[in-house]
Amino acid sequence: MTAVATESIGVAVDGVSKRYAHRVKGEIYAARDVVLNVRPGEFLTLLGPSGCGKTTTLRMIAGYEMPDAGRIRFGGQDVTGQPANQRNIGFVFQNYALFPHLSIFENVAYGLRVRGLPADEVRSRVGEVLALVGLAGYEQQFSGQLSGGEQQRVALARAIVIRPRVLLFDEPLSNLDAKLRVQMRHEIRDLQRRLAITTVYVTHDQEEAMAVSDRIAVMNEGSVVQEGTAEDLYHRPASQFVAQFVGRVNLVAGRVAETAGEAVKIEALGVVVGARSLRKGLGRGDTVVLVVRPEAIAMAPGAGAPGSLQATVLSRTFLGEKIEYLLRCAGETLQVVRYDAGPGEVFAEGASVEVSFAADAVTVLPDAAAHGKPDA
Amino acid sequence: MAGNSGGLLATNSAGRHKDPVVAAAVLALWLLLALFVVYPLAMLFARMLTDHGTFTTAGIATILTDRHQVRAFWNSLLLASLVGITGTALGFLFAFTAARGRLPRALLTIVDASVLLPLVSPPFTTAIAMIFSFGPRGLITYDVLGMKGVTVYGLASTLCSEALTYFPIAYLTLRPILAAIDSNIEGMAFSLGASRWRVFRTVTLPLAVPGLANAFLLLFAASLADFATPLILAGNQFPVLPTQAYLQITGLFDLRGGAALSFVLLVPALVVFLLQRYWVSRRFYVTITGKGAGQTPFDSISPVVRNVLLAACATVAVVVVYFYALLLYASLVMALGANHTFTLQHYRVIFTDGAQAIRDTLIIAGFAMPLGGLYGVLLGYLVTKKTFAGRRTMELVSMINYALPGTIVGIAYLIAFNDPPLELTGTALIIIACYIFRYGPTGIRATVALLQQIDKSLEEASQGLGAGSTTTFRRVTLPLILPAFFAGLGVVFIRSMTAISATIFLVSIGWTLITVRILENITELSLGPAAAFSVLVVVIVFVVIAAIGRVLRLFRAPGAVPMTSLLGG
Repeated sequence: MTAVATESIGVAVDGVSKRYAHRVKGEIYAARDVVLNVRPGEFLTLLGPSGCGKTTTLRMIAGYEMPDAGRIRFGGQDVTGQPANQRNIGFVFQNYALFPHLSIFENVAYGLRVRGLPADEVRSRVGEVLALVGLAGYEQQFSGQLSGGEQQRVALARAIVIRPRVLLFDEPLSNLDAKLRVQMRHEIRDLQRRLAITTVYVTHDQEEAMAVSDRIAVMNEGSVVQEGTAEDLYHRPASQFVAQFVGRVNLVAGRVAETAGEAVKIEALGVVVGARSLRKGLGRGDTVVLVVRPEAIAMAPGAGAPGSLQATVLSRTFLGEKIEYLLRCAGETLQVVRYDAGPGEVFAEGASVEVSFAADAVTVLPDAAAHGKPDA
Repeated sequence: MAGNSGGLLATNSAGRHKDPVVAAAVLALWLLLALFVVYPLAMLFARMLTDHGTFTTAGIATILTDRHQVRAFWNSLLLASLVGITGTALGFLFAFTAARGRLPRALLTIVDASVLLPLVSPPFTTAIAMIFSFGPRGLITYDVLGMKGVTVYGLASTLCSEALTYFPIAYLTLRPILAAIDSNIEGMAFSLGASRWRVFRTVTLPLAVPGLANAFLLLFAASLADFATPLILAGNQFPVLPTQAYLQITGLFDLRGGAALSFVLLVPALVVFLLQRYWVSRRFYVTITGKGAGQTPFDSISPVVRNVLLAACATVAVVVVYFYALLLYASLVMALGANHTFTLQHYRVIFTDGAQAIRDTLIIAGFAMPLGGLYGVLLGYLVTKKTFAGRRTMELVSMINYALPGTIVGIAYLIAFNDPPLELTGTALIIIACYIFRYGPTGIRATVALLQQIDKSLEEASQGLGAGSTTTFRRVTLPLILPAFFAGLGVVFIRSMTAISATIFLVSIGWTLITVRILENITELSLGPAAAFSVLVVVIVFVVIAAIGRVLRLFRAPGAVPMTSLLGG
């Protein structure tokens, strides 16, 4: 694969900040002290709601914007002051930004021509990379004649043909329909693996992030709030924000009844449940929030033993491979998802059920409302 | 008849030709178009090709073999090409700086204002300022540089004056095109390693080419049709077609020769119009797809280049402002270049001797304005929303007087309405009709553009909510096209105040125009009153534009075209 071969380098974003003057709020931070370490060949995704600073961070890595503070390094080399056209990056925009006046061939060849490569090498490399993205034979078409998915592939080809040191994606799939989006994210992932190009990818879609990334950095209000694999974020969220942003979740208020290392017992919903705490320093009587994923809640028919958790079925939604329930339980509403329930399972609306949580599936977080108040 | 009103209205909304109101309106418009567009042109051809009732090509042959006239033809093309190139370059400079220079709001307003000034002035204000500055007793040539016996007249000064007058058209054409080029596309080229200059050369400029071609053609047409500037500045060494046609008619009383000359002018004008409408307009690239650049678009120019561009724009703007300041100054002193004593004498002159011209112009503009606005909206509405035979033809015919150089239209009207049965020469009606059918098409274009933006679903939504079609028209369609009505109104008024090329042939002892008086003043070398008249026109036009701008803002229509953009093309 000659279209590929560059050795992978890491990308370090070291305490980078970017401020803007805002008309109402005065000076605001689009990015605040962002620290990221992308390992060579790694696929890192910046995930967060709109306005969280993920695109600003990406554009600073690209060199489109200059940070007000902090350094950016490519493989140890400080590139902070370098403009985008000297960084040797591949960038894929959400709207593809294909040159409408150039053919597909010329679009992909653009970066090679800028680098002054001889015509026959340009031809062979463009041919190779178009074959790689499955667009051989499209050379003479124009972007207006292509479908959204094809345009996306051209944008990808144009970004990788220059053998960039870093590949950057800014929400590349959000203009595609749902089915194509799933297909394209596999293609992007495959290609990135094959080429082993260090990649930073921006999205607000948590499912997309989980599908493509080696690691995910969740951002909120200009800062990275948690970094880890998809499993880390899902099963061990460090904050309510991450818990709510990554996957669906029940947040249940509680109070620490007993601690023993990582395992704790929490009073919640009128009973005592087992859980694990990621925070040191939680003591008896502290108010906390339990993070319980909908699929971690077990349901059994009928009234249970004393001390068990009773609930009433509010609604039942059949979705094919799974059934979703809303339960009323000690004044709270719980979401429950049951997979592989079998045709026999019927918890009718209004039925009484007994629910239970698996202790290792419940995460304890300090109560955000109480957090920051002295000794709440 | 169990005829419920809903059924009747439904037919109305479907736009079938059965509707008697629509049918009557269409018929009336066809009659008017036949009378004021087709008939004069036909008479022009007839006059050119007949001699006392027999067919002859002698008239045209005389022109085509007269070396003087042939030179005028080539001069016209040369001047138009040079104005096209210079004006497009200036317009691009301004448009690029405005679209990519990240100018603060205040600065943009200044740029827009200095660009607006030439657009709303009588066409020869810069020409007068040229004479004031560079004439034999010019402020710059004589007073500053101390040069004696310079002649300002010729190609160079005509070109300079026309370029400064018409470059705003290029600016207004190019700015939206440059603004619409997604800056991500430039950012993309940049990230692929291209320098800013290379990005400009290989991405921005190629994408602007259709716009540049369009601007060039518009300027070419404007210069080709311009009659006043060469009349004042070109001198007898550089004859051009519109002035030759004018002299042929007013000097030699040779209507046939004038008709033939204007026909020679018509050929390039028509070629340019067709090129612009059917070739260039199909070549625009769509560069806006999905989400555009975020809150911070790519910096396509470096700070140094930005400052150079700003300085260049400032220089041009200063020249424009200087010209107008000079005009104002000249209107307030005894005689510019000779006696700089402050006086209001010139204003006294225009409000006494010139009172008739002012009154006539305002009356004519006052009638042409509402009628022209109504004509534009009505025709625009009918051809977009109703289906009837000859719809496309009607739209095309309505554009003819607008597309033709004013000289041709003026001569055609003069020939057509000089004799019974339609003897209108000497009346105000002929001038009003000329303005309505020559400048009303701006309102048509604005209406069509607005109506095309109004999605069908908007009217359907109104109907789905239970509104009948009259309610829908009144509550949805009408408010949406009102901005076009006011825009059309404004353009007709402004042009009624400033135009001369067509109406110079139509004025009479009974009805004259300010612009014609300015021209007379210049030829009599009484430049003070000419300057005072020009200042008056600029002031009136600015007041009206501001008023219409206020009205347009009242409606806050999202698709409303800014007033100034209608003055281009």
